[in-house]
Amino acid sequence: MNRQTLYLLSVLIVGLALTVLLAHQIDAHRPPPDPNAIDESLYLNPSTARRMSLGFNGLAADWYWMRSLQYVGRKIISVPEDMAIDDLSELNLKLLAPLLDTATTLDPHFLDPYEYAAVVLPAIDVQEAIRITSKGIEANPTAWRLYQHLGFIYWQQKNYQAASETYRRGAQMPGAPQWMEAMIAKMAADGGSRETAREIYLRMFEQSADEKVKDMARRRLIQLDSLDQRDGLRKLLVAYQTRTGQCPATWREVQHVLRAIGTPVDRSGSPLDPSGAPYQLRPGACDLDLAVNSEVLSK
Amino acid sequence: MAETVTRIDIAKRGGFWRLIAIARNTFREAVRDRVLYNLVIFVLLLTAAAIFIGELSGGQERKIIVDLGLSAMLLFGVFITIFVGVGLVYKEIERRTIYAIFSKPVGRGEFLVGKYLGLCLTLLVNVVVMGLGVSLALVYVSKGWDPLILTIWPAVLLIYMELMLITALALLFSSFSSPALSALLTFCVFVIGHFSADLKSLATSLGSTGARWMFGGLYYLLPNLANYSFITPAAHGRSPAPVFVFTTGLYALVYIAVILSAATLVFSRRNFK
Repeated sequence: MNRQTLYLLSVLIVGLALTVLLAHQIDAHRPPPDPNAIDESLYLNPSTARRMSLGFNGLAADWYWMRSLQYVGRKIISVPEDMAIDDLSELNLKLLAPLLDTATTLDPHFLDPYEYAAVVLPAIDVQEAIRITSKGIEANPTAWRLYQHLGFIYWQQKNYQAASETYRRGAQMPGAPQWMEAMIAKMAADGGSRETAREIYLRMFEQSADEKVKDMARRRLIQLDSLDQRDGLRKLLVAYQTRTGQCPATWREVQHVLRAIGTPVDRSGSPLDPSGAPYQLRPGACDLDLAVNSEVLSK
Repeated sequence: MAETVTRIDIAKRGGFWRLIAIARNTFREAVRDRVLYNLVIFVLLLTAAAIFIGELSGGQERKIIVDLGLSAMLLFGVFITIFVGVGLVYKEIERRTIYAIFSKPVGRGEFLVGKYLGLCLTLLVNVVVMGLGVSLALVYVSKGWDPLILTIWPAVLLIYMELMLITALALLFSSFSSPALSALLTFCVFVIGHFSADLKSLATSLGSTGARWMFGGLYYLLPNLANYSFITPAAHGRSPAPVFVFTTGLYALVYIAVILSAATLVFSRRNFK
């Protein structure tokens, strides 16, 4: 190896090492992104993006889909509190609807973005959620899952008649499961009940291929279990008050009743919520709260 | 190229064998020029996608592997077609080897068609290897057999037909203009070819008869490349109907025949004496 080669090689290695160091320095001093900052709007509208894709529309749709996931993921990471993906209204996700709209315009048969729109968007922009999911039904009229998603949006909006009608249309599609049929009457007669909510989230948990949606449904089911549990515990506390004339000061005072009805308790005798955290007794109020470290969703 | 061709005793062979000899040498030249090295990039791209895309795609890795693999196949194919295709004739003229070829009993048409077939063979090797790469990536992400492996091959065939069409166009442009201009013109036709539906709707929506005729004429004159875009449906497990593949194949064949005839006509008028 001659001198010049050695010289050039050392410049190459030192130069590369320097660029890595400098890049690291720049990253370390970059101000953190403001989660409330206004997002730059997309350059292309969905139909223009489709025209410009030159036959690569599937790949472009994948790109927009991954961007949607990264966009939501980044915003969730930027806030310290635990949030369910169906309640992200505080995150200022203004770009989500255009991103999902573009992904589904580029590839109208790509079903996952519709599901994501139906689950995440209602808390941000319900009209866009309905529009995108309806667009999915128009492009995939036999996909019964899209009717399930649209019914879910209407149910969240407490529009039980529209939800029932959407389930009815979905139940007529080939391959639609039997429970879609059962949801028609349930939604029309008892749309606001906890049982209907349980049925909706249970079906969502069973049917969804998306892990995030599955997780959201699982957490909502745990929340429903906890709500039932809390109703039962409140009744127990009120019964104690009726019997003794005062509210219990600690859970130990009602320990024998808790054991009798089979409620799981920890070592201190506090009843455990479905995530395994102890319920906090509100002294003197005959009421209880979720523990700070509980994984049960509070709203 | 010329040395090899002249080594063969072309004069003793029939037209078909002369075509085969030119095609084979064009393929060898492409291999010598390391055109197939793009396969290495393709394999690296797919391997990276197969390993890492799962974390980014929300469980859509199979769809993304197909979209990415087939799109890369089309994109790399178009680059090869444009950058190799436009130089096929020009290089022979620049190196003056064309004089040696035409001093033998080789027709202008035979020369062009032979060159065309040689590049098509290169592209065939390229798309088949890439198709196998996508299939293997699907086996990897699905941890076994995946029904998408079967549905991608009709889409691969349509991509190949599109590349054959673009190759013919590149050859036509290179028969009368410089490589840079040929590359630009071929790329423009590739872009406009994917806007065919817009040309047709423009033709029907415009008020002026002249404009209607112009856009209508352009719609029929330029190749409708949107017909060959079956990547997205393939990623959803859908295959084109056999009749559709047959008619698009026939369309490609007729169009290629027209383009190569035009290229031969133009090329025959050039003076190489």
